[in-house]
Amino acid sequence: MFGDMSLRDPYEVLGVARTATPEDIRSAYRKLAKKLHPDLNPGDSKAEDRFKEVTGAYEILSDAEKRRRFDAGEIDGSGTERPQQHYYKEYAGAAGPRYQNTSGFADLAEEDDFLAELLRRREQQARRAPGADRLYQLQVDFLDAVTGATRRITLPDGNSLDVTIPPGIQDGQTLRLRGKGAPSRGDGPPGDALVEITIRPHKFFTRDGDDILIELPVTIAEAILGGKVKVPTPSGAVMLTVPKGSTTGSTLRLKGKGVARRDGSHGDELVKLKVMTPAQPDAELESFLSNWTPNYDPRRDMQP
Amino acid sequence: MIISKTEFLYRAQTDQETLQLWISEEWIAPQGPDTEPEFSEADLARAGLIRNLQQDLGVNKEGVGVILNLLDQIHSLRWALSSRLRAGETEGESGT
Repeated sequence: MFGDMSLRDPYEVLGVARTATPEDIRSAYRKLAKKLHPDLNPGDSKAEDRFKEVTGAYEILSDAEKRRRFDAGEIDGSGTERPQQHYYKEYAGAAGPRYQNTSGFADLAEEDDFLAELLRRREQQARRAPGADRLYQLQVDFLDAVTGATRRITLPDGNSLDVTIPPGIQDGQTLRLRGKGAPSRGDGPPGDALVEITIRPHKFFTRDGDDILIELPVTIAEAILGGKVKVPTPSGAVMLTVPKGSTTGSTLRLKGKGVARRDGSHGDELVKLKVMTPAQPDAELESFLSNWTPNYDPRRDMQP
Repeated sequence: MIISKTEFLYRAQTDQETLQLWISEEWIAPQGPDTEPEFSEADLARAGLIRNLQQDLGVNKEGVGVILNLLDQIHSLRWALSSRLRAGETEGESGT
């Protein structure tokens, strides 16, 4: 009878005449739905297919426009199912003790050791169930993420949580704080707090894995003649020797000035030079350069 | 996974006031503190059932409470029965 679901006549499915009023259709649907709703028939897997069919038919016939189009032959009885609903029966077993109601067999348990044991274990399980995990977000400064820090989160319930940020933490990494989640509803252990870390960008440092990258402005003189310049690193400024004849894009490596690794070693800081001409016109530089003829072509590689 | 109240209201297609009623009637029992309740997929499916009962089947408020109560008992009975049957099978295998 219920075999071919795709093209069944919705009037036939609901068992109503083609002349049925909307009220007739509704009451026919309700009658069938009460019998077939999957959650009212948790043990009957056939009811679910049949319910889908009935609901699909009702979707057409309860909507005046869809019903008119079906009557006119513009649409058929298929493809009108509602989006898939997850029925409660799929979760009832796993929903845990919250919705359990064992009063349906509590009297039988008095005479049956097995049922009595089942009830006892169920209660114990409910009591010992751990609390839920809680999810938090924490923004940390770039340098705190590199060198490590302790930060305090204020929780919605007014309490606070101290989070130790290990040196070298990555953007998007999640820290698990054992036992800092929701308390158990019984006497089980509390859940965990999961803290997702976002790293704020820094004014001049960026990061590539364990390495710190920085673009360091230098004067024309420092680039051409070389010299010692002060470079910031996460652990404080250091002096760096710019070699003679450097240019924009030259990269110098400061060993061990990068981000801490798990094994205790450190990444490097990579310093990329950027030659800066004076921001204001400089008469001395102008007069000096007017007597100078460059003997190189910086646009050599750009010939068409 | 935990579902927040905002997400729950959206996915259950319901409003704050209705949800408050469901919770005070104990039809839905979220975890966590009242100020920040935490819902599960099971709670969401239960909300779907409540909606089906009220909107599609025309069950009134008192009826929903009765149905959910009996349904919870049925699920507990089904769980007890299936545990009993499984225990029976193991006994059979060990050869009594």
